[in-house]
Amino acid sequence: MSNFSVLFQKEWRENVRNFKILWIPLVFLLFGISDPLTNYYLPQILNAVGNMPEGTVFPFPELTPEQIVMTTVSQYQFIGMLVITLGFAGIISRERKNGTSTFLYVRPISYMSYVYSKFSVMCILVIGSVILGLLANLYYTNVLFGAVGAGAFVGFLGTYIVWLLFVVSIVLFSSAAFSTAIASIVSLALVLFVQFIDALLGAYWTISPWKIPMYAGYVLNGSVDKTPFIWSLIITLLAIVILILGAVYFAKRNISKTKI
Amino acid sequence: MKTLLHMQGLTKQYGKEKAVDSLTFSLIKNTSTALIGPNGAGKTTTLSMLAGLLKQTSGTIVFDGEITEDIRKVIGFLPQYPKFYSWLTALEFTEMAAKLSGVDPKIAKQEAEKTLEFVGLTDAKNKKTGTFSGGMKQRLGLAQAIVHKPALLLLDEPVSALDPLGRREIMNLLKELQVTTTILYSTHILNDAEEMTDQLVFLRKGKLVEQGSMQEFREKYANPMYKIYFTSTEEAAKFVEISPWPARQEDSIAFIHIDEKKPVMNEVLRILADSNSSLLKVERATASLEEIFLQVVNKDE
Repeated sequence: MSNFSVLFQKEWRENVRNFKILWIPLVFLLFGISDPLTNYYLPQILNAVGNMPEGTVFPFPELTPEQIVMTTVSQYQFIGMLVITLGFAGIISRERKNGTSTFLYVRPISYMSYVYSKFSVMCILVIGSVILGLLANLYYTNVLFGAVGAGAFVGFLGTYIVWLLFVVSIVLFSSAAFSTAIASIVSLALVLFVQFIDALLGAYWTISPWKIPMYAGYVLNGSVDKTPFIWSLIITLLAIVILILGAVYFAKRNISKTKI
Repeated sequence: MKTLLHMQGLTKQYGKEKAVDSLTFSLIKNTSTALIGPNGAGKTTTLSMLAGLLKQTSGTIVFDGEITEDIRKVIGFLPQYPKFYSWLTALEFTEMAAKLSGVDPKIAKQEAEKTLEFVGLTDAKNKKTGTFSGGMKQRLGLAQAIVHKPALLLLDEPVSALDPLGRREIMNLLKELQVTTTILYSTHILNDAEEMTDQLVFLRKGKLVEQGSMQEFREKYANPMYKIYFTSTEEAAKFVEISPWPARQEDSIAFIHIDEKKPVMNEVLRILADSNSSLLKVERATASLEEIFLQVVNKDE
């Protein structure tokens, strides 16, 4: 792990200087804030700009604070995941394709450190952004809709972070194993498409990494069924380890594909 | 004459195609060797295998007497088209390179600055590499390859893409480095190799065609001859007929091949004087470097 700090510094500088450090948190912040605000002000907004006839009454559902948090999570589950998969699909493959990583690969670096440095930076950016967005969301939800239990929220956040780690590992693995274009497709398929399939047919099984976001919602509501939840967590953590080790293996195997 | 690196039967196969075919040669410590050959001869593939970027299909690489798996610790490598992280400055990049190659982190920055000064990039050290010109990139490429003082320097076409001035500067830097470093570099221009090469290794289609010193090649392929310029084609033809030695003719010039220092110039001049031809000039010529290159590369297998 001797090169880790040097490689980490390089990754960090890259993400600072290409402004990923700025725009990724902004995306999550924006979606974090917009849901409680639009849900709260929707009647007023419709009144003001909706051009409704006098006396129109909409029966708006009474949303619980937990439901507001979960609408934001469902935004993250689509747009957030798109940002993560497409934003980081080239994290290893692009270096390989344009030949910049030649200068790393001819040095005695450990590929474990190489992959970890990328994993760490992605985790900091992704998890940091999500936490930032959800805290902003929590603040507005608290002000406009009422309090969310602190314990439940921490449990929910912890569970959701496991899901994020899973997504980050998928993207990293694909980028190590494939070219940028294929890595984008593979990670999009594994994150969004499989999630869709899981939602569609998932009534038949209860243990699956793609059910983690759903379980995170149950944790927030305090209605989680422990056994399938714990097993899903274990399976997911195992998958993360395997994906990372796979990324190390493929990063090393694919050095011959580096453009020289 | 200590051998630093010896490769034995080095082969790289892509499908049925052999990019490098049982290559065997040695590098003597603190000498420089040029890999010469036309495009596609396997020069880059050979260097990539030595640098550990490609795994050889078969064959061994012995470094300093040991079959080494991780040669990366002791080499510096400059690719043909160095591509840098455009968002790093020259100093940051060189410092990173130094640290990753095992230079003590405390002195890495200092070493990086020294190296950048050596390659003449001090003024640009805090500029982002994305703004660098081709010549500056080549120098930065050299800087990252030498910042950790490697025992072996592998350079892929270090000067091919440069203008004459840049070429001269890089060549001078390499000459300085040669004192303490073993250098293996590839080129397809023999003139570049003439200045600072102890050993030439000619490759063609992945195979070693011939190796030796510049002097040996010059002697072997010099193909010395007399070039006799006449005033007209007829005069030249007339001389070729009466010449006691085999001669050939191209327009108004006659050629006599010199074999084992025979004939000597005096004899030729005597014949010329006796024949009463109208003569312009007589000279002794040897093959140019380009001609030597073509002779070796087109040699029958």
